[in-house]
Amino acid sequence: MSSHDVMPEIGLYQPVSVEDAVGLAGQLAERGWLLGGGQDTYGWLKDRAKRPEVLVDLKGIESMRGITETADGIEIGALVTLTEITRDPLITERYALLAQAAGRVASPQIRNVGTLAGNVAQDARCWYYRRGLNCYRAGGNLCYADTPEGMNREHALFNTSRCVAVTPSDTGTALVALEAQMVIRNASGERVVDAEDFFVGPNLDITHMTVLGAGDILTAVRIPAKWANAEFYFEKVADRNVWDFALVSIAAAMRMNNGVIEDARLVAGAVQCTPRRLSSIESAIRGKARNQETADQVASLATEGAQPLNFNHFKMPLMENLVNRAVRGHVV
Amino acid sequence: MELIRYRNDVWGEEVILGVSWDLLWVVSVTAFVLLAAHAIFMAALAKKKALPSSEGKRINRHDAIDRAFHWIMAGSVLVLIATGIAPIVGLRISWLNIHWIAGLVLTFVCVFHIIRAMFWQDFKSMLIGPADFKEPFDETIKPGKYSFEQKGLHWAMTVLVIAVAATGIILFLNINSPWWQRPSVTDEGSLGIYFLLHGIATLGLVAFSAVHIYFALRPEKRFYTRSMVTGWISEAEMKENHDANKWKPE
Amino acid sequence: MTYMHIGKDFTPPDIEGKVTGAARYAEDFRRDGLVFARLLTSPIPAGRVVSIDASEALAMPGVLGIFTADDLPESKPPANPALAKEFITYIGQPILAVAAESEELAEAAIERIVVEYERRPFVVDPLDTLVEGGPDPYPMGNSLIRTGEAAAGTTASGTGVGQIKWTSDQVASFRAGRFPTGASFPEEWMYGDVDANFAQCSTILEEPFVTIGYPHHSLEPRTGMAYWENGKCYFHGSLQSHTVGHDALSAMLEIDPANLVFINENTGGGFGSKIFPYPTMAVTGRFARKLNRPLQLRITRPEEFYIGSARSGMQGWIKIGLRDNGRVGAVDVAIVGDAGAGGGASGGSAAEHISIMYQPEAMRFRGMSLYTNTAPRGAQRGPGQNEMAAVLSPMMDKAARQAGIDLVEFRRVNAPGMDAKVGSRQGVLSSSYYPQAIEQVATLFGWEQKKTLPRQISATKVRGIGVGEGYHSAGASGYDGLLRIAPDGKIYLHTGVGNLGTYSYAGVLRAAAEALQCSWENCVVVHGNSDLHLPHSTYQGGSNTIFTETRSSHVAALDAIRKLKTIAAAQFGGAVEDYSIGGERVFLTSDSSKGMSYGEAAQKAIELGGELSGMTYPEDIHRTTQRSVQAMQGTGLIGVAKDTLPKSGTAPGFAIAMIEIELDTETGKFDILDYSGVAECGTVIHPMGLRQAMNGGGVWGFGMAAYERHVYDPQNGLPANVGLYQGKLPTYLDVPLHMKTAGTDMPDPQSPVGSRGIGEPAQGCAAAALMSAISDALGGHLFNRTPVTPDMIVNHIAQNSFNTGDLKTNTF
Repeated sequence: MSSHDVMPEIGLYQPVSVEDAVGLAGQLAERGWLLGGGQDTYGWLKDRAKRPEVLVDLKGIESMRGITETADGIEIGALVTLTEITRDPLITERYALLAQAAGRVASPQIRNVGTLAGNVAQDARCWYYRRGLNCYRAGGNLCYADTPEGMNREHALFNTSRCVAVTPSDTGTALVALEAQMVIRNASGERVVDAEDFFVGPNLDITHMTVLGAGDILTAVRIPAKWANAEFYFEKVADRNVWDFALVSIAAAMRMNNGVIEDARLVAGAVQCTPRRLSSIESAIRGKARNQETADQVASLATEGAQPLNFNHFKMPLMENLVNRAVRGHVV
Repeated sequence: MELIRYRNDVWGEEVILGVSWDLLWVVSVTAFVLLAAHAIFMAALAKKKALPSSEGKRINRHDAIDRAFHWIMAGSVLVLIATGIAPIVGLRISWLNIHWIAGLVLTFVCVFHIIRAMFWQDFKSMLIGPADFKEPFDETIKPGKYSFEQKGLHWAMTVLVIAVAATGIILFLNINSPWWQRPSVTDEGSLGIYFLLHGIATLGLVAFSAVHIYFALRPEKRFYTRSMVTGWISEAEMKENHDANKWKPE
Repeated sequence: MTYMHIGKDFTPPDIEGKVTGAARYAEDFRRDGLVFARLLTSPIPAGRVVSIDASEALAMPGVLGIFTADDLPESKPPANPALAKEFITYIGQPILAVAAESEELAEAAIERIVVEYERRPFVVDPLDTLVEGGPDPYPMGNSLIRTGEAAAGTTASGTGVGQIKWTSDQVASFRAGRFPTGASFPEEWMYGDVDANFAQCSTILEEPFVTIGYPHHSLEPRTGMAYWENGKCYFHGSLQSHTVGHDALSAMLEIDPANLVFINENTGGGFGSKIFPYPTMAVTGRFARKLNRPLQLRITRPEEFYIGSARSGMQGWIKIGLRDNGRVGAVDVAIVGDAGAGGGASGGSAAEHISIMYQPEAMRFRGMSLYTNTAPRGAQRGPGQNEMAAVLSPMMDKAARQAGIDLVEFRRVNAPGMDAKVGSRQGVLSSSYYPQAIEQVATLFGWEQKKTLPRQISATKVRGIGVGEGYHSAGASGYDGLLRIAPDGKIYLHTGVGNLGTYSYAGVLRAAAEALQCSWENCVVVHGNSDLHLPHSTYQGGSNTIFTETRSSHVAALDAIRKLKTIAAAQFGGAVEDYSIGGERVFLTSDSSKGMSYGEAAQKAIELGGELSGMTYPEDIHRTTQRSVQAMQGTGLIGVAKDTLPKSGTAPGFAIAMIEIELDTETGKFDILDYSGVAECGTVIHPMGLRQAMNGGGVWGFGMAAYERHVYDPQNGLPANVGLYQGKLPTYLDVPLHMKTAGTDMPDPQSPVGSRGIGEPAQGCAAAALMSAISDALGGHLFNRTPVTPDMIVNHIAQNSFNTGDLKTNTF
């Protein structure tokens, strides 16, 4: 095993417009690597676990920065840092769910440079995969984690298909709950994808976590007004309170009417490869009071269909507990 | 262009990963070119012969159960090829479950077919003997139930399907299923060889399926396709293409 | 006693550099012509190197050479080789080094080198090699054999590899939490009649336990830089100690110690892993010599995980007996230690912790040290004692509860006092004020009040309170002190103590300043570079420095004072005894006008020569000190002496902590609401230093109890948590903002300033208290292992059966 630590020789482009960046991304395709905050870049490159030939540094593109109010909500530039999200008044006042989720990402230092796009588009954190092993996700023939003795405490409960990695994104769960839309540009133009469809599981594409393909650039995230100022709940449980990925997280948005839940979106993180929409819970709580009784009635629905691995059974009670807290409106 | 893909195993040792999927394009294009050439040759140069009439007495060529086997096999092979190729060409479909279910169907049907062919059918009619090799070069020699080309294609498909099914079963045993949990892989090199064989067999299957479908659609062979649907060929078709001494339909 | 310096805060001289970033570590040094070396490390957990083909790499422009095991003296198992060849025993083990004009080139060259390996069977759980037919981590066996005297946690000479096997029934029995009848243990000791004492006990507890090892994660990886000039090797390294390692490093480089200049002003943590020179230093120095170029071998963060040492693990069984009055009547403990790929396990030290902290009337220890194909192990902050403290605390709590005794009262009843005995030989202590420490921490924490608080805080929050104790022997003797008073009046306090970040290197010199009654501002601390002429000082490990080096500082000062008085007597007449010191003067006691300043005396010393200016020196000082004195001859008044002060028994370091936590039963997470820790380390010589030791040790104790562990995949020997992120070291938000700490501040009679060390117990008491508090919050539940993580707590509360049992180790 070579022990690498320095950056490899690599080309660098620093476009200042989306058009140029899209052109470069399309032209370079798999040879290129989009660079934002760099928090999911430098480790891969220094370890030689990924070997792109050229970096396309997006940080000079001003139009991908900033948070603006739109006719139907807000639009967040892909390069907006997680720290900016935690501090932006529009977000903290109307979409506190996203601010809370962003505030629980990694550490202050990482949030200061890490971007929203980077957080949602980051690759799997499975330690086998990150080690540079040639597992399914890396285009290989097998999964090292999902075996009788695999060390899979942090892996998936649901919807595994050969790969058992989970989504590591804290903001991803919040964005799915908020029915956000992802604005993607490539050489063919722009397309807008629902956050829920943005993330892909291994059954659909085992080597990608999102719909982003070669040449695609996530340029912005739009959050519709639908859930503005709703009742929110976000909680992430990790081994450490700083610089750690979720063991399980929960993001919930609820609309109340006369003391009952009129509409709700609940999304769990770190239980499968994509943010897991908890539709059965949403259906079960509609029209019910937001209280302990309702929570106790529905929480166990959350883990129906779970297929735990050797070391991650704990995620089942933990997930049920977090759903219970979200539904009852636990005060953290 | 590489023929075989290699990767490092968990300990950094180079092992076979599988066949290079560049070959899929090579096989596809080659098959297309050859078949197109054949089609052009047949259209432009080959002697035009009037097709025998499909009217008249009907002779049973395939029992209903055999036709069912065939179409189930054909369907499963096509599904297997489609679901296997989808992720290679970047189509995002949830292919794996469909793939192994189709593989199981193919395997079971093949097993039934082999047993039935060996004990309940005229197994010899599919055997290729030395005399069969004269058949393509002598228009006066007519085959029994199956022509030399049909036998050749059948045996090629037999080998390929057995190879793809056998390796597919081994690979299936290495993923989670409703009946077992995925085991540990101690020898990634062996796993890679199974993937390689599965891939090679798949390439062959793609090629021979293309050939098979092509000939099934050719005008002069179409009555065979019809017989695989309806079960019969006409007496005229029989006389034109087969030697009644060698094939005595019931 | 009123001191000028002892017990008072001061600003150690390296503080400014650390705050401003000006402090330089080994990696920061450059030299004209410097080349960069990088390691190629093993991808396999066990095997050997069959061949190396570096031709393509060596043909690259700018690549200067490779360095392999063939360039080093042969290393026999289980000694940890700098570069492996015949015995690869863990993933990440260095195989060779490549040097190039830049790091980038060196890394590119590594990718062009083809190494052919032959794989061998491997094992990551000691019990899997212990069972008959199980794979052995070395071709010749699985266990450490001590053929001579060797310190625990080291691969010093006198060790070999043997083979121990148990039957599958014995292993199964051990895994099931029972003593394996008839099983052999190469290490065994006993005192008292264990069976007879158990018979007199009314409470008997029998439990299995597992403590998982984890890496040191020294923040400064063990990078080294070396260059050779005029036959001398200049070595910038990263050691905890300084001069005590000089001879060993010289031997590694096969040079006369006089030809080694070791420079190491700052060390970014070692925690036991850098007490003595370590194998990669041989590569740095010898590769530089081979290339005849200054060479830096930078160690990366992942490499530091692999070669930077780790705490060993334990799989054990213990039987505890309590008498009616709460006294521990008997303890029987059996420990299988995980020594990783090299080093030794710490079962004996773990048993020592039990023997001293609970003073059982009879005790038996049986143990063994087994190798696994995991990272080599070595001493880590209280090796054995601290992990035993952590896993034992809730078990002792359970025993106390069964006996109906308050947890603190139970500790009181069994506390080691002045007459305490320790270990297999039941040796005595230099002193112990530990009972006072218990009272002090109970008051600081408010134990009596807190134990009455309701356990249920809210529907989902429960309170837990716990107590934990830490111990380590904390002092040696026999090292040298050295100082120089210059004609300008400055007092140069030379020390060979390494600066491992605790400030003790400077703190101990305050004992000299105290004796000389001089101002600290007038003192210059001389350390960190053997060219600055340093004395032979103790190793910085085992909570050793404070006790040992205040003594050697003190004797150097006494020697200087004697010489000051000798000079004054020669100048003003009378006997030496007639003179006193004060205000940085030496003067006639009866007439202070007859005297001279220290500077004037230093000038006189130069003039008078002889022992006064170091022209002669005591014969009993170490040759390192002798060389230093020789270099300083005639430059001032030299105070130099070997510490021959009386020393008997073990100088102990004790600490006790109490913790209150609030545990969330829905998430398995907890907050530490209150941490109170009291050190019993004799006189406190540096209050801020003590606070730092207690806080730092405490935080790491939380890590041991609830976060850190080795995880290895048994299918392939891969470690799951190599870096600082995956290693889960506690972060700022995982520990309390304020930690209350104090010291008993009562003098040990064998130290001239009353002080003893405290480094290791600070961690042990915190880990033990946290384990105790978690157990308390869960109604006394025992997890029987460290660490206890949120998943285990959630599983326990959900009453499922998914927590890892069966004594498995190096696993989640």
